[in-house]
Amino acid sequence: MKVGVFISDCGGLVSKVLDIGDIEKYIRGIDGVKLVEVRDSFSSGEGLERIVRAFKERRIDRAVVTECSPKIAEIRILNRLKEEGVNPYLVEIVDLLGSCILPHRSWPDKAVEKAKVTLLAAVERAKLLEPIESRRFPIEKSALIIGGGLAGINAAIELIDTGFEVTLVEREPFIGGLAARMVRFFPTDDCALCVQAPIYELKGVTKTSRKGLYRSGVSELPGLNIYTNSRVVSVEGEPGNFTVTIEKKPRYVDETKCIGCGECTKVCPVEVPDLFNAKLKSRKAIYINAPNLYPPVYAIDETICKFKECAKCVEVCPTKAIDLDQKAETIKLRVGAIIVATGFEEFNPEVIKEYHYGEYPDVITQSELARMLDPFGPTGGIPIRPSTGEKAKKIVMIQCVGSRDRRYNRYCSGICCMIALKHADMIKKLDPESEVQICYIDIRTTGRMHEDYYERAREQGVIFVKGRPTEIVLNPDSGKPVVIVEDGLTGEILNLEADLVVLSTAFVPSSGSKELAEILGIEVAEDGFFKEYNSKLRPTETKIRGIYICGGATYPKDAPTTALHASSAALKAGKFLRSGEITKDLKVAVVNEELCGDCEFCPVVCPYGAITTVEKEGHVVARVSELRCEGCGICVGTCPKNAIELKHYTDDQILAQIRALATKLDPKEPVVLAICCAECGHCAIESSGIFLIEYPPNVRVMKVPCAGVLKVHHFLEAFNAGVDAIMVVGCKPEGCHYEYGSIKAAQKVAFTKTLLKALGIEPERIEMFQMVHIEGDRFAEAAKLMVERASSLGSIKEMIKI
Amino acid sequence: MIRVSADFAKEVKKRLGGETITNCYQCGTCTSSCPVARVTNRFNPRKLIVQSLRGKRDDVLTGEMIWLCCSCFNCQERCPQRVEIADLIYALRNIAISEGNVPNIYSEFVSALYSEGKLVKVAGFTEKQRENFGLPPLKKPDVEAIRAILAETSFGEVLKVLEGKE
Repeated sequence: MKVGVFISDCGGLVSKVLDIGDIEKYIRGIDGVKLVEVRDSFSSGEGLERIVRAFKERRIDRAVVTECSPKIAEIRILNRLKEEGVNPYLVEIVDLLGSCILPHRSWPDKAVEKAKVTLLAAVERAKLLEPIESRRFPIEKSALIIGGGLAGINAAIELIDTGFEVTLVEREPFIGGLAARMVRFFPTDDCALCVQAPIYELKGVTKTSRKGLYRSGVSELPGLNIYTNSRVVSVEGEPGNFTVTIEKKPRYVDETKCIGCGECTKVCPVEVPDLFNAKLKSRKAIYINAPNLYPPVYAIDETICKFKECAKCVEVCPTKAIDLDQKAETIKLRVGAIIVATGFEEFNPEVIKEYHYGEYPDVITQSELARMLDPFGPTGGIPIRPSTGEKAKKIVMIQCVGSRDRRYNRYCSGICCMIALKHADMIKKLDPESEVQICYIDIRTTGRMHEDYYERAREQGVIFVKGRPTEIVLNPDSGKPVVIVEDGLTGEILNLEADLVVLSTAFVPSSGSKELAEILGIEVAEDGFFKEYNSKLRPTETKIRGIYICGGATYPKDAPTTALHASSAALKAGKFLRSGEITKDLKVAVVNEELCGDCEFCPVVCPYGAITTVEKEGHVVARVSELRCEGCGICVGTCPKNAIELKHYTDDQILAQIRALATKLDPKEPVVLAICCAECGHCAIESSGIFLIEYPPNVRVMKVPCAGVLKVHHFLEAFNAGVDAIMVVGCKPEGCHYEYGSIKAAQKVAFTKTLLKALGIEPERIEMFQMVHIEGDRFAEAAKLMVERASSLGSIKEMIKI
Repeated sequence: MIRVSADFAKEVKKRLGGETITNCYQCGTCTSSCPVARVTNRFNPRKLIVQSLRGKRDDVLTGEMIWLCCSCFNCQERCPQRVEIADLIYALRNIAISEGNVPNIYSEFVSALYSEGKLVKVAGFTEKQRENFGLPPLKKPDVEAIRAILAETSFGEVLKVLEGKE
């Protein structure tokens, strides 16, 4: 092995503090080092070219480069080497300035020692580095969108406009989702079922801002395939190549023949309460929820239709569109990406017994009120008392029903205040004489133009009572519901008798979200909504490449936010599909099948579902998907048999580095080993350097991709090699870049402590620290603490051999 | 000047029953659920909590409000933030008692329990009625045993406070 070491002086910054000549001399003495160069910089110009030439002229085959802005330098150096055909994984980059100089300015002599050892460890690691190949995986350039509500439709339009084929699957017979029931949307007060107008050139179709769904022409978009009455039942395969199985229930009406004339419905003898219209009217077994929906064709409710016994509709249909023999279909298709847009639904308030929803007919929900306020709805746009059919003149609304409630849903659903205000406004505009009273805990109107609704409501005479009602009772004389509430601002208990009580219920994930998450191998959060890959920066991605989430599926959202979210998911999916292939460096976990067998720990701990098991010669062995593996190594840290290894961070590579870092150049000085993850942990350590916060140079730093890769024997080996104390620095558990790597590491540190005790070694020699980037000061404090500990404990006298 | 501070809430949170006080977001479900608050505005659990949260220690501990709760637990059942209101009021009472703030009626209960082993004195009339109904006479409580229990439990502390008060 021929290792080249390139030490950058960073424009004189290094030599100002460290004796570079001394370091150079030390490095030259390391076995395997064939070339040592010192220059102003190695990240560009002649410096960089010298590394390239050294490789090309075969003077070296591994390299260690020190640079002062490690990340940027690393990218430049590795990109240049890659261009020249040198495998970048053969180069180890060291940040001498950040790790050995900035944080140790007060101890230049000790800093030199640390620099020597740090470079020694880098050389020892470099000697064991192996090239890593890059592979191309072809991608199917099409997408599946699950859910035909506002989010799904918008995402479909965006993806089609970007140039991909899209299949949209909706489980109901009609698309439109919750929007189809909500009449109007804030903040524009126009129709809820408006979608952005797709861009395509056709006579008479112009690019306007928006269009009613039924006349938007969405269904005619080239490349869009809509399956209604359908469900995704299985998803198999790899990112970029998913095989999706869809089950399409029969509609019993040929969508291509039906002209929506409604003759069938007139003769149908079966009648049931119409759930779409809040049971305010009835519907037939052959029905359409509303004539402005898509597809504008009828459907048969197979749970109530009498089929062949009756078949009256078949006789009257003028286009012969009805086919009572239609069977369920199974459709298989291959897609590259999947967008989940399954939305949210109203919480069922029946469980809050004291509100008597479902028992008192005049207690309804906001979506039911929305049906009443629809001019084409069951009451012609007039709010009524369902118990009598009379017009409701006095309406009391109750906010936060089942939300902000630790017994049901802890979260604030976010949009219910605005829905109540919008409905109050509609009622007041319809009849200024009607009374509206809103019982609230806090009014939340946090969007552009949203506060206008609150202002307008007060102007219109809407009364706001600050209090959450305890109960709704029925006045036996009038038969009307009475809301009992404390007016928190006056301290009086009020009995608000109303014609109609409207519950602003929480919004919860659509039913079936959890099952769908299982089918897709993604996660739902504690609240039941789909979990984002990163809720701050990547809100529409999931941890699996190629699977995206948007709209209410991730949390209740208003229309503008849903549209934004849908565009984001479409962009992410488009980015993924665009090139028709994924190029990936195979820095992945690799299974040693001879050692592996029968425990099945790794499939459980892998955050990306990258590990499956297969039968092999009577044993169950793990198999890693190269495409799904993100290279964290949590599986490696978990494997009880050392049967799985992470490329570029193999056991040998990690141990070689640990042993080198344990080197004591000055036997009097304690050595503390800080093993950090490459994410927040390393960032915190780096930031102590950047912000010139000092910590003792006795702390020697090494980096692994995720603290989850670490194993107990790494720690024991370190102590064996002479390390006096170990600090493991990972991300905050809730912010771990690999979900639970930091937690796993903490468990292992805890276990090591017990083990140390048994071996007669002080357990406080090892500690786990979890921090974020901005906590460089905390790292420095922790480092001081550990060095003090190591000094007071002294070296480990004896360790029982294992 | 009126001072506002979270110190009292911190103190209450440490007491058994007081842990959930900071869950309260002042929705008033408790007050509208309360049978006492329905008949008198001298008692309002929401106000009692907000006073505690704002640090009005003296007002809470020397006022009458904490003693007016009838422990029906309706508020606790319905509280959307799972504030254990009735338990919280017990915690407040315990603090008040430990500082000697206790209404006379409670002292009377306590001394009755200590001297006779019963909270309520049984009158001769009751004995007679029982005889008429053919019920056996009430057993005499084991006062010594009760005293021993009282002394061993934190009730002993209460007794000490009350003795001091006398």
